[in-house]
Amino acid sequence: MNNGFSIIGKPTAMVDAAEKTTGAGKYTDDFSLPGMLIGKILHSPYPHARLKSIDTSRAEKLDGVVAVVVGKDAPKTYGILPVGHDEYPLALDKVRYVGDNVACVVAVSEAIAEKALELIDVDYEVLPAYFDPEESMKAEKDLIHDHKAHNIEKDYHHAFGDPELGFAEADQIAEARFIANEVTHAAMEPHSTLASFEIDPHTGKPGRLIVWSSTQVPYYLQHKLSLVLEMPMQQIRVIKPLVGGGFGGKSEVIPLEIIAAVAARKAKAPVKITYTREEVFWAHRGRPRTIIDLKTGVKADGRITAVKARVVQDGGGYCSYGVVTILYSGALLGALYDIPNIQYDGYRVLTNKPACGAMRGHGTVNVRFAFESQLDELAAKVGMDAAEIRQRNLLKPPCITVNGLRVQSYGLPECIEKTVERSGWKQRKGKLPRGRGLGIACSHYVSGAANSIIRSDMPHSTVNIKIDRDGGVVVYTGASEIGQGSDTMTAQIAAEALGCSLSRVRVIAADTDLTPIDIGSYSSRVTFMAGNATLRAANEVKKLIAAAAAKKMNCAVEELVFRDDRVLKNGGTEKNAGEGGSAAKSQATQSQATQAHAAQSEASVSGRVEGQILRGSLQQKRKDEGPKDALTFEEAVVAAIDFHGALTGTGSYAPPPEARGGKHKGGGVGPSPAYSYSAQVAEVSVDEDTGEVTVHKVWAAHDCGRALNPVSVEGQIIGSVWMGMGQALTEEMVWKDGMLMNPGLLEYRSPSSVESPEIEPIIVESIDPEGPFGAKECSEGSLAATIPAIANAIYDAVGVRLHESPFTPERVLAALRAKKNAKSLNLTEGVDPTQPARFREHGGALWFKNKGPIRHRADQPANSTSIGGAD
Amino acid sequence: MSLPEFKLLRPRTVTEAMETLAGHSGNIRVLAGGTDLIPSMRQKLFEPEYVLDLRGVAELAGIYRSESGVIIGALTTLRAIEKSPILREQYPVLTEAAATVASPVLRNMGTIGGNICLDTRCLWYNQSLTWRKGCGFCIKKDGDLCHVAPGGTKCWAAFSGDTPPALLCLGAEIEMVSPAGARRIPLHEFYTGLGDNYRKLKSDEIVARVFLPACSAGYRGVYRKLRVRGSIDYPLAGVAVAIKRSNGHVADARVAITAVNPAPVLVSGATDALNGKAIDESIAEAVGDLAAKTAKPLTTSALTPEYRREMIRVFTKRAVLAAAAN
Repeated sequence: MNNGFSIIGKPTAMVDAAEKTTGAGKYTDDFSLPGMLIGKILHSPYPHARLKSIDTSRAEKLDGVVAVVVGKDAPKTYGILPVGHDEYPLALDKVRYVGDNVACVVAVSEAIAEKALELIDVDYEVLPAYFDPEESMKAEKDLIHDHKAHNIEKDYHHAFGDPELGFAEADQIAEARFIANEVTHAAMEPHSTLASFEIDPHTGKPGRLIVWSSTQVPYYLQHKLSLVLEMPMQQIRVIKPLVGGGFGGKSEVIPLEIIAAVAARKAKAPVKITYTREEVFWAHRGRPRTIIDLKTGVKADGRITAVKARVVQDGGGYCSYGVVTILYSGALLGALYDIPNIQYDGYRVLTNKPACGAMRGHGTVNVRFAFESQLDELAAKVGMDAAEIRQRNLLKPPCITVNGLRVQSYGLPECIEKTVERSGWKQRKGKLPRGRGLGIACSHYVSGAANSIIRSDMPHSTVNIKIDRDGGVVVYTGASEIGQGSDTMTAQIAAEALGCSLSRVRVIAADTDLTPIDIGSYSSRVTFMAGNATLRAANEVKKLIAAAAAKKMNCAVEELVFRDDRVLKNGGTEKNAGEGGSAAKSQATQSQATQAHAAQSEASVSGRVEGQILRGSLQQKRKDEGPKDALTFEEAVVAAIDFHGALTGTGSYAPPPEARGGKHKGGGVGPSPAYSYSAQVAEVSVDEDTGEVTVHKVWAAHDCGRALNPVSVEGQIIGSVWMGMGQALTEEMVWKDGMLMNPGLLEYRSPSSVESPEIEPIIVESIDPEGPFGAKECSEGSLAATIPAIANAIYDAVGVRLHESPFTPERVLAALRAKKNAKSLNLTEGVDPTQPARFREHGGALWFKNKGPIRHRADQPANSTSIGGAD
Repeated sequence: MSLPEFKLLRPRTVTEAMETLAGHSGNIRVLAGGTDLIPSMRQKLFEPEYVLDLRGVAELAGIYRSESGVIIGALTTLRAIEKSPILREQYPVLTEAAATVASPVLRNMGTIGGNICLDTRCLWYNQSLTWRKGCGFCIKKDGDLCHVAPGGTKCWAAFSGDTPPALLCLGAEIEMVSPAGARRIPLHEFYTGLGDNYRKLKSDEIVARVFLPACSAGYRGVYRKLRVRGSIDYPLAGVAVAIKRSNGHVADARVAITAVNPAPVLVSGATDALNGKAIDESIAEAVGDLAAKTAKPLTTSALTPEYRREMIRVFTKRAVLAAAAN
């Protein structure tokens, strides 16, 4: 579809595709500097312990070791949220999870650094640890953070409308507990940071800090570095090279980013740290294990009367984005359907595990799984089709929901309609052979948060554009390309607005010295916010060009059209409208022929040539030619520069006040200038003997406002469905006594290409009134629908309702057995045979003598008197 | 995780390899495909001074016919086995099992010898040094307790190769060579049934060849593998079935299981249960029960032991029926 655009809406290859596919592109770990050292971090072996002492002297003596950094080298707290400054770069007094950061060795090679780690002597006082959030909430002593009573990071209690009245009015009520287990981003690129101090030209001492890092948020990184290193922000430069996937795992400051800088300062040399895959799992910041007690009431006609949710999130040892996550979980109960009464009780709980944070679909995914599953049950109870009950509960935008979220564009009705139609829902639902089923679910997500986490009135995005006489357009944006297409989107919007070709546009992104502030790539904010800022910057430059061009062409500014690398008078419509472009081209070619440039193609006859002609002769030439009907882009640019001087523009974006949400406590999280919508139908089959679930096809409709780059939108939809399928079927972080049992991509099972189903992406365009060219987000909203769509399809196939994700074959088989009253499958057998009250207690009690190979030097029996003791 | 420092030795002949091996006995690891050894070395499960890279020993690769059957060199890649027309026609259970190993990229490197010698696996063992230190070491490596069976004195790490159960069904033999010469044993005698000291391979020996007897040629075969993903994963349970039929009845049959014991094992009683019978649901089910009894799954791997035992039952039944039908 053209929609009158020349670039927007056309499938466009990513601007960085070639360098990525050829391997020429550089990621952080590809960089090195002269004299660069390697940093390796010593991690805590205990989930909860007090640090009594650290002796680094043996490590420091090892040949090749330059420095050993410990907590005292940077005793400053930080955290991504202003309310959650609870992390030290390296532990100062306590460690709070297995993998917590204790010390960092800087050495000339990785192998030496690893060896030196073995030589650091740390004396711990092991404390009782908390692994289960509901247990953790009962804690009276040995708190994970002293100032957080009962290990509760934050709890919120919201009531909108009158939930009790709502349930009283309901004809059918469903109530159940759902559990979504912990998942992580598993981005392909492990985190990496290279930190280096420049020599100050005036003093000859280390001056500015330059950091290359795999980050989604260069500006926040600059800010936290400034905080911890106690340096002014302008003395710090953060550069984001190519990033191999973020999904939220790089959307806050990760320990290694600060540690590398502190280490570079101490070692007086550039230091690079790249995480191992295991360390990536420890850095984590993924989706917390979530326990959802959900109650929903509906009328006999399918209308939802009330929803009550109690949500407990297993947040790990630090706050991270936790306060935001728990608020999203409640807030995004709204804005999808019209729900008049909502009660929400959310608890973000601390446990002795790596910190959870933001992950694709931040906060909404697990609750959406519960809600959409329960809505399916209620549809059955009132005897209504599962698609129809969703259609009965649509919002009527523009509106403000009961919890204060403003909804304008709303493509959900069309999403449902299209998935139902394409999947053959009406003809096939309930008529598939035994063991095969269809399920439907919906979801939505914010296009950026209306309130930034840094509590400031500054714009969320600012973009500068510079155009020189050569006609090259350079866009400077702080938005971070992390593989999602940020740079391509920026180039597309600038090119479309300026009417120039994409190849003219260079995007300089995410370098805090060069690019204006953008708060980063998270909460799906880039297209909407940085896109709007780009559009505004481009329009500002365009205004300058238009003024000069109009003068030259002797017409009003309003008559001009910028398109296909030219500026046309009379809107370019004086000829046949359909062939306006080519007509203008032939016209231009004629006028250029008079300049004896006939041999060259019209595109290469440019301002470069004309720009070198002296002003006097240029004016003479103009006089000879008389006013033109069309200018090439270069001609127009040259005219504008001659007329105005420098050709630059700037644009910024801040969400409008009316989109910023209600005034209640925590009301700042959830509001967004626009919401994306998704509806999905999944077709699955279930093997009733093994419990194995196969997803055959997913029809996924996504309302992205306008698809600026359809191929990219489709890629994001497919990626979301695929990632959702991983959480639905195979991905789960498995814990035993605070040890992560699967800290690698072999045992943490993201789906492989073999079991990836056919995914039919369906783009729905609701054209948002405030989005750039009507665009909204497209990379997160689809994920949440996949999990319940699969759950509902499993129910349709074999009649079992799964309350815990992922739906591993053993869980499915256990549910099937329970339904048939067959021999039950014990899912706890052998899982945790000893239930130790304290960490490793079973190990300590069960040492036995003189068996096995030689004990590792680091493995001394804790208590030799308890030999042979049974548990 | 860095690879520990070691000296790489690259012999060109078996004789040369034997000399090197004898010279560094006890302080050397043998690399065939490297797909398992290298990640394990990064995890510091092995820190040998020398690595003997056999990949240059051409005489150990290839698939050959002989009067007594088919000989497979230990360095033959799993990919070559998967694609071999002779094996596909004569010993389909082996090609089917080889085709399920890991992923295509790993099958291009991994070898049959490596798959036979594959180190036993356990969630508490196949972890980084840092992880194992945090958890406490176990019998299999550096420690003296078992996390899987607390209080036990035996290592339960699970043998997780896909091709050995198929080879067991085919009555395969393996030849091992050492400076002292070659010896040939039936494959089932190669495994000890212990998780830690899982194979009978002397420190100066290598597995050189696999012999598939002519008498097992033409057996119908099926391999069924439980895994969470359709690729990459090690088996969480695996069943190989080979059946020879005459006149609609079973003339000879063997069933072997993998990934649920410290060794791949033939299911005892399966042959008796099948021989002379026309296979139907109830016979297949009975064999499934026998296999489930043979299986001793523990928490060495993902998915619960009870589920994995159930799957041995289901997969065996299905494999028997499929082998009888195809």
